[in-house]
Amino acid sequence: MTVSNKSNNRRQWLQLRKPVSSRQSLISAIFIWVLFFAVWEGVARAGLVNSLLVPSPHAIVTTLVDMLINRDFVYDILISIWRVVLSFGIACSVAIPLGIMMGAFPAVEAVANPFVSAWRYLPAPSFIPILLMWFGTGETPKLALLVIGVIFFLITLIMDHTKQVRKELIETGLTLGGDRWTIVRTIILPSVMPNILTAMRQMLAVTWTYLVIAEIVASTTGIGAMMMRARRFLHTDEIMAGIIVIGALGLTFDILFRKLHRWLFPYLHGRES
Amino acid sequence: MSKPSPKVENPVVTHKLSIDAVSKRFPLPGGKEIEAIRDVSFGVEENEICVILGPSGCGKSTILRMVAGLVDPSSGTLLLDGHEISGPDKERGMVFQAYTSFDWLSVRGNVEYGMRINGVPTAKRHEQAQKFIDLVQLGKFAEVYPSQLSGGMKQRVAIARTLANDPSLLLMDEPFGALDAETRWHMQELLVSIAESANTTIVMVTHDIEEAIYLADKIVFLSSHPGRVHEIIVPEFKKGRRYTDKEEVIAMKGYSALERQIMKLMREQGASDDY
Ligand SMILES: Nc1ncnc2c1ncn2[C@@H]1O[C@H](COP(=O)(O)OP(=O)(O)O)[C@@H](O)[C@H]1O
Ligand SMILES: [Mg+2]
Repeated sequence: MTVSNKSNNRRQWLQLRKPVSSRQSLISAIFIWVLFFAVWEGVARAGLVNSLLVPSPHAIVTTLVDMLINRDFVYDILISIWRVVLSFGIACSVAIPLGIMMGAFPAVEAVANPFVSAWRYLPAPSFIPILLMWFGTGETPKLALLVIGVIFFLITLIMDHTKQVRKELIETGLTLGGDRWTIVRTIILPSVMPNILTAMRQMLAVTWTYLVIAEIVASTTGIGAMMMRARRFLHTDEIMAGIIVIGALGLTFDILFRKLHRWLFPYLHGRES
Repeated sequence: MSKPSPKVENPVVTHKLSIDAVSKRFPLPGGKEIEAIRDVSFGVEENEICVILGPSGCGKSTILRMVAGLVDPSSGTLLLDGHEISGPDKERGMVFQAYTSFDWLSVRGNVEYGMRINGVPTAKRHEQAQKFIDLVQLGKFAEVYPSQLSGGMKQRVAIARTLANDPSLLLMDEPFGALDAETRWHMQELLVSIAESANTTIVMVTHDIEEAIYLADKIVFLSSHPGRVHEIIVPEFKKGRRYTDKEEVIAMKGYSALERQIMKLMREQGASDDY
């Protein structure tokens, strides 16, 4: 008796499969990051690591602010964003219509899928040498790498989501008098759009990865190029500032896509209207 | 969409819907075939509620899908108003067991959908949609998204959406099969009053005996493997009338006898599955 009373009265922190409140999850998330940076800062200040190789978080933030205000880092950031947005826009403008067509019409899939799925197994960075030979050092090879890196995965994801549009919905449309194109436009497209937006959000994160590769290997501008310049002068604080900015940008785009999802598809997000 | 095909001469009787010597074989992987239904013939009259009943797997859905034009028969003919059925068309609207609400449209948007794609003028569309939203008693929910509706309400949206499109035939494949018993009861009574006020011809598939007897003007009972018409049963005890109160029908003299008779048929057909 006493034992069970005790455990009932005292709220335990470890509760088997019991969801935590949003307040608790926020506090927990902040906690783990504060802990991470505090340990880092402490280790750096205590002189346990070479400050040239591992600068303290404090030093990195100071450098980042200086780079943003006094140097041209903003320009590098903008050029990186522009590359990501432009290449991703190109990839989507091909992948969305093609993926939907492949998912809606097996005859299109039969032609396009053997081609598309083969490309997915070719690592995009392996094209860098040839892209440089073809397109020189301008923007084209970078954009091409970013497009090649995501487009085939995007097409496949969108095709799979389109195939998952339930047969009954399509058949309902047919018995209401819809022809093929009406059904693609008024049933398949609106059914699959939320999933397409989610696929876009996921693949945008991949685009950032290829951006850094492209800028490190073959660029004099952008965040990646800045980091390679910093390496030559052993400016680890600048490299780490670059990593932080890329992470922050990735997170920002992710949040923007989530917001867009809620805004475009309110019927999927509970009762608000 | 199918254009009206040439009228086929039908010498003896003309039904609203006539299904004549229809068989369907599905190809199986490996070159074999499965015979789903064999030599099925029956007719459905104007304004009739015809219920196709039989054990599961006997080919009920296959027949209904052929009437809808979603599946082609292997042999035989299906005629609606004397024209051969080929391909789906808005004159044969179908309600499925699975929920088919368009989640991105409000209830009103769903009910207007068919009219919108068929180019019905806006004013007529609004009027017609409102009429059928009221008919299925969803007036208060007209602007709500389907994800906020219960299963029974979603099926009412599907029925209203189909009827608002003014089909010549309403097809329903176990439309209340996913609903709980109480909602199903309510929906069955609602369907009777809808059939009365909208003057629709309905072909409905079910494996629920009680539902069949309550709703049907005529029951087509199928035997299984392959599906064939075993017997056409008219619930004579209802004396050709419809009742919006299901309890009244169940309490009638003759109900139990018919229920027992059909149960026996079901059991015989179900048992034959074991061989
Ligand atoms: N598309 C199909 N391909 C192969 N076999 C099918 C197909 N549709 C139905 N069948 C078969 O036809 C038979 C009848 O199916 P169905 O009409 O769904 O029965 P019911 O609706 O009476 O339960 C079943 O044996 C089923 O497996
Ligand atoms: Mg069925």
